[in-house]
Amino acid sequence: MSTSILNARNLSKVVSSAEGELTILDDLDLELAKGDSLAILGRSGSGKSTLLGLLAGLDQPSAGEVQLAGHALSRLDEDQRARVRAEHVGFVFQSFQLLDSLTALENVMLPLELDGRSDARQRASALLERVGLGQRTSHYPRQLSGGEQQRVAIARAFAGEPDILFADEPTGNLDSQTGERITELLFELNRERGTTLVLVTHDARLAGRCQRQLRLEAGRRVAMEA
Amino acid sequence: MRKLPLLRLLQLGLRQLLRDARPGELRVLFSALLIAVTASSTIGHFSGRLNAAMLLRASEFLGADLVLRGTAPAEAGQIAAGQQLGLTHARTVEFASVVATDSGVQLTSVKAVDENYPLRGQLRSAARLYGAEEPGGRPAPGEVWAEARLLVALNLQLGDLIEIGRQPLRLTRVLTYEPDRGGDFYSLTPHVLINLTDLEATGVVQPGSRVRYRELWRGEPARLADYRDAVKPTLAAHQRLQDAHDGNRQLGNALDRAARYLNLASLAAVLLAGVAVALSAARFAQRRYDFSAMLRCLGLSRRETLLLFGVQLLILGLLASLAGALLGWLAQLGLFHLLAGLLPGEIPASGLQPALVGMATGLVALSGFALPPLAALGQVPPLRVLRRDLLPPPLATWLIYVIALLALGLIMWWLSLDLLLTLALLGGGLIAALLLGGLWLLALRGLRRLLADAGLTWRLGLGQLLRHPLAAAGQSLAFGLILLAMALVVLLRSELLDDWQQQLPAQAPNHFALNILPDERESFAARIAELSPRPATLYPVIHGRLVSINGAPAAAEVERESRVRRDLNLTWSTHLPADNQVVAGHWWDALPAGHGPAVSVEAELAKSLGVKPGDRLGFDIGGQPLEAQVSSLRSVNWDNFQPNFFMIFEPQSLAGLPATYLTSFYLPPGSERPLVELARAFPTVTLLQVDAVLAQLRDILAQVSLAVEYVLLFVLAAGLVVLFAGLQATLDERIRQGALLRAIGANRQLLVRARRSEFAVLGAGSGLLAALGCEVVSALLYRLVFDLPWQPHPQLLLLPLVGALLIGAAGLYGTRRALNISPLAVLREA
Repeated sequence: MSTSILNARNLSKVVSSAEGELTILDDLDLELAKGDSLAILGRSGSGKSTLLGLLAGLDQPSAGEVQLAGHALSRLDEDQRARVRAEHVGFVFQSFQLLDSLTALENVMLPLELDGRSDARQRASALLERVGLGQRTSHYPRQLSGGEQQRVAIARAFAGEPDILFADEPTGNLDSQTGERITELLFELNRERGTTLVLVTHDARLAGRCQRQLRLEAGRRVAMEA
Repeated sequence: MRKLPLLRLLQLGLRQLLRDARPGELRVLFSALLIAVTASSTIGHFSGRLNAAMLLRASEFLGADLVLRGTAPAEAGQIAAGQQLGLTHARTVEFASVVATDSGVQLTSVKAVDENYPLRGQLRSAARLYGAEEPGGRPAPGEVWAEARLLVALNLQLGDLIEIGRQPLRLTRVLTYEPDRGGDFYSLTPHVLINLTDLEATGVVQPGSRVRYRELWRGEPARLADYRDAVKPTLAAHQRLQDAHDGNRQLGNALDRAARYLNLASLAAVLLAGVAVALSAARFAQRRYDFSAMLRCLGLSRRETLLLFGVQLLILGLLASLAGALLGWLAQLGLFHLLAGLLPGEIPASGLQPALVGMATGLVALSGFALPPLAALGQVPPLRVLRRDLLPPPLATWLIYVIALLALGLIMWWLSLDLLLTLALLGGGLIAALLLGGLWLLALRGLRRLLADAGLTWRLGLGQLLRHPLAAAGQSLAFGLILLAMALVVLLRSELLDDWQQQLPAQAPNHFALNILPDERESFAARIAELSPRPATLYPVIHGRLVSINGAPAAAEVERESRVRRDLNLTWSTHLPADNQVVAGHWWDALPAGHGPAVSVEAELAKSLGVKPGDRLGFDIGGQPLEAQVSSLRSVNWDNFQPNFFMIFEPQSLAGLPATYLTSFYLPPGSERPLVELARAFPTVTLLQVDAVLAQLRDILAQVSLAVEYVLLFVLAAGLVVLFAGLQATLDERIRQGALLRAIGANRQLLVRARRSEFAVLGAGSGLLAALGCEVVSALLYRLVFDLPWQPHPQLLLLPLVGALLIGAAGLYGTRRALNISPLAVLREA
């Protein structure tokens, strides 16, 4: 096994609600090597998204530890976790999360600009070209179809050259044909750049493309297939 | 780990701002700021320049900007100080002198003037008796100008030689107007003007003679203030400094109130601005929750996220402030252009201050009201990218709001230099807001129960309000404040104008008659009744001096209190004169049978003398002593151009003492001939014309009123724009809900009705808050600042209706988009 990029030990998430304590994730272990791809499967409410949030350092576990690119996330404060995200992590979301006021090109440029790259425009253009939107760089999100918006989001996610990409239902809002093409794109880029891929999905075909699958039920691992 | 350098943050902030600007995202906040700064700086410029213009007119009453007067010549150092500051100087010397001719003798007031006199305004004179007035000039050496009544009294012709003291001077013109006669209505003697170079030759001014020296100064306000500061410590006991404000009581009061009103109007504009900015800043933040979460996801720290938005707001604020300051300057140019024909030609330019205040208003309002939502932006959990329902945790924002309010208060104070006004407005507004906001919140909660059985329209419409009662209360408070500011400015305008109107009715007495003998009394009154549309009341007058208080000699009090230093006009009256009010003790009705002499004393004088009801005052009336007990203290309205008295005696108290009578009356324009006949028919009666003074007062009040009207219109316009802009900022969710309802099959009719009911309730609620708040604030303002009597204003009850109509219309207009475009388009944007 090559070096581990993501490592979770005894991960639990408990929230308190009016009805008492609710366990969303229960004592989960997980290890991913560089270049691996993992699909997290499960029904709504099974804790998939919670797990993704924890692994990406967007949320904090009630117990356990996540090691992301060598950083123990629980020992970092929120701003330090933000730095880890900036350096190592990319995101793709079900609802695309593009900024309405920015054009496609500007959306992709954003992480590069935050990083202070002087070649932000060229790199972003090249990435948009790569995802097949070279002609639509100056369009605003609302002028793009869902599939096109998700391509922009993928271009943005890869712009920062992340070590690991988290995708939350990346095809969830798309028809199957478009979803298929997005899946294709995601895996192509993953291969090209050697990125580790973690995705949450309902989509069996998408999950099937991953090297490993983690199936969750009520916060517990019910199966780990490779 | 890398950190974001500040420069790159600035760059990013600016770039992001430009990107946001393109799709109109920043329009609401930018226009709210722009309006705020424009309104505040326009009114600042306008009222600043107007104040200066009015002060200029008022300075005419002094013939100067500042006067140093005394009973001995000013020290050389006091003159040199002014000249060193670059002020223009003129001198007058006044004294009384008897002019004798073959026809008789007449005591006159002589004023010797130098070649610079007057420094403000102009003399007016005529080349023959009752001839046409010509402005300008002054008596040359060897000349004397005299008022018409001296010519009438002594049967003089122009060209005659008359002797002032030992010096014969040639009578060359009839003096019709001296700008600085203003305060001197009661002067009994005709005025004459001579040249200062002839003064010594008259030999009148000797050690011990009663002479008034006036050093007149003109110059820039800052220099004048410097002079004031320099001279104040050197003032001798007999010397006083005087400016336009204390030169004339009527005018001083009117100017003070007008200035305060303009101040209030600009404060109202600042308040409006604050509300507008608060509303749109909250929207600005809400619409950036996603962006903020995304930035955090992309690795920006909380601090950097905050800084990024902070930089954006700062740049936005600076741009809007600069543009607003420029617009404000242009707007006041336009206002003055409109008013050009009605204002004096020479209007001093206002400085940079209004622009700076305007910009500061915008920036402080922005930082004050945008900080709490901005702080919330920093708290947006990055997990929001996965779960959109996550909102920033509620902050303890009250502290930031308190700071914002303090900052706003500071600006208002800086703008008005009037702590009382600021506190009354801000404090009153705050108390009203807190109290009424709480009430409204309770009412909304109560409404929820009522609504359970209401129709669909009402449930849909008000559901929106009731779902977020706190937000609804906040919104109606904001609109309420806007309406309050507008209503307050309207309310005070009519009170002030009414007050001035009352002070100077169209037929205000424009003549005084003194020294009417008892046996001429009835015939004089009958003659006046023929000439004047209004009957004149004749008051008996006895001259006397105050000599003792409670049996002890009153020399010290008399020396200290200039109003009793000379002979007092004592009168008697059965009834309390109109415009007088007993403030302590009782009028004669309450006196016990068999009481001794009793007197009623003007309250301010009594306070200064330390006299209260029950004390005994001793008078010397032509050598005859009289002691009377103080039975009451009266407040007197000195502004009414009626004869007023410090001392009014119970009628029996002065029985048997020789009295003359005085009165004031109105003569219509063009009554010169009858006036001359009146003077000839009653040769012992002294007639005084105060027409010129009245006209001047009326002129100034008219200008002030006009200015007040314009400022009012401007504030109202600004209020309306702010109302619309503010409402826009709250509409996002309503538009989305409307689209959703249409998507699931609601027809337009239902939506329009639902919106209408919602905005009408919101507007009526706001109007009610405004009405109650306006009463609280106006009560405070009237009592503390404007010195006006306060009464409830039932007309304010119209405000809920006005609010319902205004906000209903604006709300429907703002949400019409949700009705007209495809619901899908709206929902896809969300």
